[in-house]
Amino acid sequence: MPSRFEPIIIGFLCNWCSYTGADLAGVARLQYPPNLRPIRVMCTGMVHPDLVMEAFSQGADGVMIMGCHPGECHYLEGNTKAAVRAKVISVILQDIGVDPNRFELKWISSAEGSVFAQLITDFTMRIQKLGPHKVKSCEYRDRETIR
Amino acid sequence: MAKVINIQPITRIEGHASIHIQLNDQGNVQETKVAFKSLRGFEKFVEGKPAEELPRIVSRICGICPWMHHIASNKAVDACFNVTPPPAGNLLRELMLTIAHIEDKLLHFFFLAGADFFWGPEYDFSVRNIMGLVKANPELAEKVIRMRHKAKMVLDSFSKKTIHPVAGVPGGFVKPLSIEDRKIFIDNVNELLEFALFALEYAKKNVFPKFDESYPGLGEITTGFIGMVDNKGSLNLYDGNIRLMKPDGTSKEFRPDEYLDHLAEKVVPFSYGKFPYAKSWGEGFSMDLDAPKGIYRSNTLARINVADQIATPRAQAELEEFRDLYGRPAQSTLLYHYARLIEEVYTCERAIEILKDPRIINPEVRAKVEPCAGRGVGCVEAPRGTLIHDYTTDEKGLITRVNLIVGTTHNLAPINLSVDRAARDLIKNGVYDDAILNKIEMAVRAYDP
Amino acid sequence: MPIKLAGESLNACSGCEISILDMGERLLKLLEFVSIIHFPLLMDSKQGKNNSRIVKLPKADVGLISGSIKTDEHLELALAMRDSCDFIVALGTCATHGGIPALANSFHNEDLLEYCFNTEGTDKTDGFPSHIVPELLDACYALDEHINVDIFLPGCPPHPDHIFRALQSIDKNESFSQSKKSVCDNCPATRDGKGQVKTLKRALELPRWHAGDDKKEGFKCFLEQGFLCMGPVTRGGCGGDKEHARCIMTQIPCRGCYGPVKKESNQRLSMLNALASNGIDISSLPETLSMLRFSGGHGLLRPLPRIKES
Ligand code: SF4
Ligand code: SF4
Ligand code: SF4
Ligand code: FES
Repeated sequence: MPSRFEPIIIGFLCNWCSYTGADLAGVARLQYPPNLRPIRVMCTGMVHPDLVMEAFSQGADGVMIMGCHPGECHYLEGNTKAAVRAKVISVILQDIGVDPNRFELKWISSAEGSVFAQLITDFTMRIQKLGPHKVKSCEYRDRETIR
Repeated sequence: MAKVINIQPITRIEGHASIHIQLNDQGNVQETKVAFKSLRGFEKFVEGKPAEELPRIVSRICGICPWMHHIASNKAVDACFNVTPPPAGNLLRELMLTIAHIEDKLLHFFFLAGADFFWGPEYDFSVRNIMGLVKANPELAEKVIRMRHKAKMVLDSFSKKTIHPVAGVPGGFVKPLSIEDRKIFIDNVNELLEFALFALEYAKKNVFPKFDESYPGLGEITTGFIGMVDNKGSLNLYDGNIRLMKPDGTSKEFRPDEYLDHLAEKVVPFSYGKFPYAKSWGEGFSMDLDAPKGIYRSNTLARINVADQIATPRAQAELEEFRDLYGRPAQSTLLYHYARLIEEVYTCERAIEILKDPRIINPEVRAKVEPCAGRGVGCVEAPRGTLIHDYTTDEKGLITRVNLIVGTTHNLAPINLSVDRAARDLIKNGVYDDAILNKIEMAVRAYDP
Repeated sequence: MPIKLAGESLNACSGCEISILDMGERLLKLLEFVSIIHFPLLMDSKQGKNNSRIVKLPKADVGLISGSIKTDEHLELALAMRDSCDFIVALGTCATHGGIPALANSFHNEDLLEYCFNTEGTDKTDGFPSHIVPELLDACYALDEHINVDIFLPGCPPHPDHIFRALQSIDKNESFSQSKKSVCDNCPATRDGKGQVKTLKRALELPRWHAGDDKKEGFKCFLEQGFLCMGPVTRGGCGGDKEHARCIMTQIPCRGCYGPVKKESNQRLSMLNALASNGIDISSLPETLSMLRFSGGHGLLRPLPRIKES
């Protein structure tokens, strides 16, 4: 039997809420799949769309951005910025042939350990259903043959 | 033994093409094909784009005549959106188009095709070009380079971007012409006119006589012609009706938006360029050298053949002299070069006329534009022939359908015929050399594709 | 010894070559230190001996390549140029980023062929051209997707000043550098900050351009007037060594022909991000794919999936 597909999921977690929320989930020993590779950022407002695209082109199967609930951003407007950027990211993903469902922006407070665990579980299952994200540059000529 | 001669690529032309000559067992020409190898798909990939952006996109069809595409495209969008540019807007467009013609003809005659005549087709290829001219006749070369640049700089000083221009906009033109600029332009174009007259005299003395001496009947075929004329039947490059002339000299006139009733295009297996033909003659399409069907030509010779006269005095005098010598319609392929220099005189004279028109400095250069569903045909004469842009838009003014007939394409079938003719005349019993092959290419260069 | 120069154009429009000629009298100066040994637009050197399809090009110090790679023939030529030239200069945005022809990357080849050979007015055909003509590759590629490139000279076309300077620097064995700034960086527009713009207008009207109340030359930034201007995400320098950006000075917004500021970035993503971050509704324009009209190579534009990923 082929082994189950274990997606690589990159998560950008804001320091103040989501990362703390993730910590809480850990401390509470909540069960959730191990596929998330968390990256701690100071605020979702600093996650430039280039980083998300980079994650996909480097082989991520899914990408999440998690930050404070609206109105609770520690830099006031970081998360509203992230929200408008998320729209941009979805638009661009679609056009380069990546299912926008592979990307998600969510709000998690520092107290929401269980919400965090649930989210990661759901997102991982969703990506498992979508299957591996083939880095599209494999259509292109083998880089090794470049002269 | 049967073999194929490939001339690849055809050089000193714009674009990508090659010649393939099939010889039979005796070494004589059995079949000739000229393949046009570029397919970029403009007609398809502009789909869904806002129509007003097209003039800034489709210019990239050709970097040698971007102004013509830019302006034809603007005219097509005007027609889709139902707007008429104010007089100054129209005049400025025509001015830019005309000056771009001035520059293009110098480029073609001196930089690209001329070398064959200054040296002869058998001359060493590393010298037979504009760089060679710089060494052999620095005085003439310097003058040519300076004059071409002068025309370019007139465009540049006013419109900044001369290759892939942006100054034409749906509804008119981007900005008015100032009185000071107008004065400077008149001075510059006057100088260009002087050079045009000099170039024509020079060629009449040193180049055209060689046509009959050295290349009798090179690539000569008998065809019809296409070109634009104004309502008095005079040569016009910017606006008017399309006149389609039969080989016997009789012609029909139609509005550009009626082009589909008169022209059709054929797909041939060896070329990405489609081959247009005169559908309305009702004889179909054939490239049989002895009995061609539906074949007509565009570009300089075609335009001065279909026009009853030229509305500017010096060019008209030259046209009369030309007609006394070669009749109407003149068929000889190399005469394209002669016609080109007559048009050079016309474009200089016309540019001055436009500049002297009092309406040109009117500050109102653009009409208001609202996007809507529509269909529009924009047509101008590009150096290489009648250029047709046909767009359809949806109610948001986004492009849903595009059909383009580019100047050069009208000549694709004639180029094939001319090359076939030249090859059959020059290659006998399997004997040929580089000079002969270059002569065959000259049949292509006459058309300036 | 003058440097030996070879030129080839691939999926191109010849505009880049014409831009070389637009050096005007500097062309004569150029010919003092450059000797052109292969250049199909200007001279009769063929790709190989008659009858052979094998491309063989003369050895050269510098190879100028304009145009993107869309057919097997372009690819073959690009590889042959790489082999025969010490330096490869990617001339123009087609060569550096795919250029306008890379807009075709939004479609499948079959769709392009199907459309172009079935337009109204084209006689019915039972097949597409397939004899002698080169084969289309699956996409329109920038040069560096297939060969190594030594100098990138973006611009549609590049300004003659830059072409001259690049060749001069090779001749003098100096390094060549070009602007790392954006078109905005040296734009004479007045900017008051974010402003109140919430949506963008289409280019159906022109931005205001005025001599100013106090008769000072001046105009307000086109973006702040509510027009799309690609200046912020486009490499500066298109006006050459002395002048301001060309479209801007023609009183019309930039469309991005010099490619992204950083060679690798995505003009559309950067622009949408900039707009969104400044509170401008990115759906106020009817489409934004054409923000990549100059840089759709490198896989940035792809055919919109016909069959969804399952
Ligand atoms: S970069 Fe522009 S000018 Fe150069 S070949 Fe491409 S379309 Fe033409
Ligand atoms: S957005 Fe356009 S007008 Fe505004 S500063 Fe930048 S280049 Fe200039
Ligand atoms: S302003 Fe923008 S589009 Fe215009 S020439 Fe400069 S870079 Fe190209
Ligand atoms: S600090 Fe958490 S989103 Fe800004």
